[in-house]
Amino acid sequence: MIKKYSAPLERTARLLDLVPYINSHQGISLKELAGVFNVSATQMTSDLTTLWMCGLPGYTPLELMDLDFESGFVTIHNAETLSKPRSITFDEGVALILGLDLLRSAISSDRSDLFERIELLSKRLAQLIKLPSALSATSIINQELSAAITEALKSRSGLEIQYHSLYRDELATRIILPIEMVERDGQRYLSSYCYTASDFRQFRIDRIQGASVQAVPQVAPKSSAQQSRYSCTIKVFTPTREIAERFKQSELPINSEFDFETYSSQWIERSIMASGGSVSLLAPAEIRKSISAMAQSMLDRYKAR
Amino acid sequence: MSRKIERLINLTIALLATKRYLTKSEIFNSVDGYEGTPETKERMFERDKDDLRSLGIEIEVGSFDPLFNDEAGYKIKQEKYQFELGDISSTEVSLLSLAAEAWQEASFGDVAQKALLKLRSIGIPSDELSIPGNLHKLNDGGQDLSLITKAIAQSHLLTFPYLDSSMSINIRNLVPIALSTRNGFWYLSGVDQEIQEIRTFRVDRISGSIASSEGPADFEAPTGFDPSKTFSESRHNEFALIDVRVGKAASLRALAFSTQSLGEWDQIKIPMMNLDSLCSMILWHGPDAFVQEPATLKDLVIKHLEALVKNHD
Repeated sequence: MIKKYSAPLERTARLLDLVPYINSHQGISLKELAGVFNVSATQMTSDLTTLWMCGLPGYTPLELMDLDFESGFVTIHNAETLSKPRSITFDEGVALILGLDLLRSAISSDRSDLFERIELLSKRLAQLIKLPSALSATSIINQELSAAITEALKSRSGLEIQYHSLYRDELATRIILPIEMVERDGQRYLSSYCYTASDFRQFRIDRIQGASVQAVPQVAPKSSAQQSRYSCTIKVFTPTREIAERFKQSELPINSEFDFETYSSQWIERSIMASGGSVSLLAPAEIRKSISAMAQSMLDRYKAR
Repeated sequence: MSRKIERLINLTIALLATKRYLTKSEIFNSVDGYEGTPETKERMFERDKDDLRSLGIEIEVGSFDPLFNDEAGYKIKQEKYQFELGDISSTEVSLLSLAAEAWQEASFGDVAQKALLKLRSIGIPSDELSIPGNLHKLNDGGQDLSLITKAIAQSHLLTFPYLDSSMSINIRNLVPIALSTRNGFWYLSGVDQEIQEIRTFRVDRISGSIASSEGPADFEAPTGFDPSKTFSESRHNEFALIDVRVGKAASLRALAFSTQSLGEWDQIKIPMMNLDSLCSMILWHGPDAFVQEPATLKDLVIKHLEALVKNHD
């Protein structure tokens, strides 16, 4: 579990972090400050009021922090002791190191200057939290791609992409209008209107192999055909983790059957093939037939040699 | 509640500002908020010290004069209290900001935001970097990542139930040495205590809670282990020869270290990996992939094809 503090400690931590933040952002509006610390304006006023009572022993105006926020803008003076940000916690260090490693993996190779800086920063952070350098993150998309996609999303322009369709096993060029990034089952997709298919499609980010910004007709795209769905029934012979994950089943009792819906006949065909003899597709009958024929013809080919 | 908070802040300020160790009685006399009987004050102070420590603030205990057995005193060292990254440039601030933002809502999202706040409090403006940050995002790895990274730092022993490839759940004992993320999954590597070899586990396949305990006293982390290489490593220089149809089987081709053209087909040479996974990958490609070598792989593919024919009769 990532550590959560009790409410008073959470607030103490916030007050300690408020001082250096105000100190480096003198005159910030109370509203903005509340936003930065993710609390309501009322809570922020109450935090500042508490802080206003704190200072060095003696607690005369000379020793108290000089905090002014009545005008709606916050300034602080006489707060030297707390003016530097607190050291980072172990978890904070881990978060930054992993984030940096992700950046490193995504930066294009002509920015070697940034590589070095990232390396140095990671080393310094690892020293601060006493962690051996054992964390690694790899970005699924490279710098050139992400630049093109970001640009297209920002300027609402089109993209020409080279997309590898896993089910068809083809690399094809498509013209798309990206709409937004969405996330599903830990994978990230670019939700788009595809001019090539004249319909809305989602493209998995890690299967886009090239992208360049392209002008597209700015007509309001409409979804055309209804996609056909396949209702499948699958029987389990040998339970494997691969099958459980592929068909999103938490349990796979032997000889049990489960139903599964998909939009792609190719996907179901390939999935059953890849599962070897561990499962059997009971329905739909025409896909069952085509699997049987495919396996037989492959077998014939192996036996022929 | 706010009395306690005030007291904690005042105690922090007093212990930070002092050049020498402050004794308890000095603290009770000068720091605002310590009231009541001596026992009450004592209890308050003990709890306050624990609270500050749990916030990551280190309180040093020492005495004024090492020659005399004086009463113990307390102070907080500035250099330990502060975020010391050394000289840091605007570019570095922006790199760190992007690193923090990569978490968004994922596992360390909250702590990354806190780190970002501290970073901004240093008061160095960040550069406009030509790195689009919003697309480089870390995936959620659940709540276990913090426990795992702490165990890596302290060479603790992790015990957890793990779902193996035949769907049975086994208890694993691992001294973790690395955590990595790739293709949307988190991977934990470490020395499996049963076999004393490095193994890598997918965090989302841990099916239950992870227990962390004191690691073996004589544990030495293997040197030279690079978590980013666990995925590309081939075993014992073995390889497979596969015929793939021209323009097809991109995911197999991605593994190839050499390709030879045979007209309608290409012959690719790929490193051997787990036999079952490779067999499954080849079957996924149906009639577009054909195994030439090794015989073990070819036989396994044939065995599965026979079962497929039988099961879909």
